[in-house]
Amino acid sequence: MKTSIKLAWRNLWRNRRRTIIAISSIVFSVLLASWMRSMQEGSYASMIDNVVKFYSGYLQVQDTAYWEERTLENTIEVTPNLKNQIERIEDVTLVSNRLESFALAANHQHSKPAMVLGIEPEAEDRITAISKKIKDGAFLQTGDKGVVLGKGLADFLSLGVGDTLVMIGQGYHGISANGLFTIKGILDHPNPEFNKRLVFMEIENAREFYSTYGLSSSLVIMTDDHYEVGHLKKNIGAILPSDKTVMTWQDMQPEVVQMIKSDRAGGIVMLAILYMVIAFGMFSVVMMMVKERQREFGVIHAVGMKKQKLSVIVFWETVFIGIAGCIIGLIISYAFCIWFYYHPLPLTGETAEAYIQYGMEPYMFFSLKPSLFYNQMILVFFISVFISLFPVFNIHRLKITKALRA
Amino acid sequence: MKIIEIKNLYKTYEDNSVPVHAVNGVDLSIEEGEFTAIVGPSGSGKTTLLNIVGGLDNATEGSVFIDGVDISKLSSRKMTDFRMHKIGFVFQAYNLIPVLTAKENVEFVMHLQGEKKAKRDARASELLKAVGLGTMMDRRPSKLSGGQQQRVAVARALASKPKFVLADEPTANLDSKSTENLLDIMEQLNKEEKITFIFSTHDQRVVNKARRVVMLEDGKIKSDLNKNQG
Repeated sequence: MKTSIKLAWRNLWRNRRRTIIAISSIVFSVLLASWMRSMQEGSYASMIDNVVKFYSGYLQVQDTAYWEERTLENTIEVTPNLKNQIERIEDVTLVSNRLESFALAANHQHSKPAMVLGIEPEAEDRITAISKKIKDGAFLQTGDKGVVLGKGLADFLSLGVGDTLVMIGQGYHGISANGLFTIKGILDHPNPEFNKRLVFMEIENAREFYSTYGLSSSLVIMTDDHYEVGHLKKNIGAILPSDKTVMTWQDMQPEVVQMIKSDRAGGIVMLAILYMVIAFGMFSVVMMMVKERQREFGVIHAVGMKKQKLSVIVFWETVFIGIAGCIIGLIISYAFCIWFYYHPLPLTGETAEAYIQYGMEPYMFFSLKPSLFYNQMILVFFISVFISLFPVFNIHRLKITKALRA
Repeated sequence: MKIIEIKNLYKTYEDNSVPVHAVNGVDLSIEEGEFTAIVGPSGSGKTTLLNIVGGLDNATEGSVFIDGVDISKLSSRKMTDFRMHKIGFVFQAYNLIPVLTAKENVEFVMHLQGEKKAKRDARASELLKAVGLGTMMDRRPSKLSGGQQQRVAVARALASKPKFVLADEPTANLDSKSTENLLDIMEQLNKEEKITFIFSTHDQRVVNKARRVVMLEDGKIKSDLNKNQG
C-alpha cells in the first residue's frame, strides 16, 4: 500500500500544471457550491428570524384547540411551575406569555379592527427587539396601563403619543370588553400587515381588558438555533398535560417552510448542474491521464504488477486530486463565507423594497452552518471516487501488447 | 538444460477478415545460458514470438513450455506472477517508470515479489554498479541518457533473478557507443552469471555478439545458426 501511495503521489506531480488545474477546478467548484448554499441558508435563517421571530417565536405552548380556533375560550393557564420546568430544558433561552385577540380600535370618529397582543414587555423585547422599532414615545414596561400602536393604525386613526385609544371587543366567555388606553408609543413594525393592525399591551393589562385573569393564549419559547427545534418539541411535549400542546414555528408557519423548501429545491438543481460540470472536468483530466500512460501501464503489468494493484495506484491518484481540491476548497470557502457572514451583501432597488415590504432586512445574509461546507466537500470527494472507476475499468481491460504499442 | 521449448506455435490475426499468420508453425528450444538473437525483416514475427514467449500475448495454436510449465494453460493472474518470477524484460523504448529513481526502478519488481527492503537495496545497488551506474542511482529516468536508461532497464530485468531475459530491439534507440557498452554488459552477465538472453533485433552489432542466431521470415524459422557449433 505504501508503494502504491508513493507512486500515486509522485505520478500526480509528473504533470504539475495539469494537476494544479484539476485541483483548482475542484477548489472553485467547492467554493461556488458552498457560497451558493451559504447564501441560500443565510437568507432562510434571516427570513425565519424576521418573519417567524417577530410573531410566533420558535415554539409555542397552547391549548390543544387554540391554533385552529384562535379564541379566548381556548386560552391556557401557565403555572409558574410549568414555566420554570420549560425554562430549565436545555437549549431553551427564553419563555414568555402572550395573550392574543382582536378588538375594534377607535378614535372619536373612526374605528378599525385591530390585533391586540398582550405581552411581557421585557421578555418580548428580548425575543423581537421590538422596542428598536419605536418611532415615537416609548415601549411598554411591566405594569404599564398604556398601549403601543403600529404606525399604520395610528396614522389611520390620526392618533399620537399621549392621545386616548378607544378599544371595544368581546372578552372571555362573551363578556363585553371596553376600555380607554393612553398611547405610550408608536412603532414602525417591519411587517406591513402588523403595522396596520397591531396594538401592544402589557399582558396583565390585556388580561384585565379581556377578563382572562391568569390566562394566556400561548407561551412563546425561544432557542438559539431554528434548525434544532425538533428535540425541544419532544422534551417540552413530554412535560405538558394532555390539554396543552407544543407547536414549532414550522407547524405554525407552513407557508414559510414550503417557500424555503421550493427555493432550496431550485438551488439543488443548480448545484446538480454545477456538480455535473465538475464531474466532466475531472473526468476529462483523468481520461487524458489514463490515455497518455497506456504504455507505462503495459510495462508495469508486464514486469509483474497485477492489474488490481495498478488500479489501486491510479485510484489513489484521482482520490488525491479530489482530497486536495476538497480540503483547499473547504478552507477557502469557509474563509470567504466568514467575510460575507460579517459583511452581508446589501440589496438595492426594487428587491430591497420587496424585502422591506415583507418585513425583512434588505441584505443577502450568509450562513456558516458547518454541514453546508462539509457536505459539498463530501459530495465532490465521492464524485472523484466515482470518476476514478474509469481508470480502474480501463486497466481491467488492458492488453499488454496493445498498450506497449501506444 | 532447456528452459524454453516452443512446439508448433501459431499466431494468426484477422486483418480485414483476411488471416495473417504472424507466427506460422515455429518449433524452437532455448538452453540455459544461451545468448540468442532472433532476427528477420520487419513483419517477420520476431516481436510476436517474443511476446508469446514472455506471456504478454496468447498463441492461436501450439504451446510454450518455460521451465517445464505450459504457460498457455496459466490464468491471467498466474501468468502475471510467472512473468514476475521467471522472465526479465528489456524494451526498445526503455520504459522505465518516470517517477521513480534508477534504483527504485530496479527495486520495483523485487518489491512486487515481496523482498525485504535491505535485500532490495543491496541487490539494486549491486546491479546498477554492474551496469556502470553506481553513481547515478538516485537519478530519475529524465536525468539519464538513452543508453543509461537502457542499462537501468537491464538491471531491472535482472533484479527478480529471472530464468531468462527477453530484449525486444534493445539497441534500436541507442547510439553506437551506448550500444557497444550495453552489449558488453549483457555479454558479461551472460558469461559470468549464466543469464540467458534472447533478443529480437535488426542490429548487426547484436547479431555479431550473439552466439546463436535464429532467422525468421513470414512467421517461420528460416535458419538457426549456433556459432558455438559452427
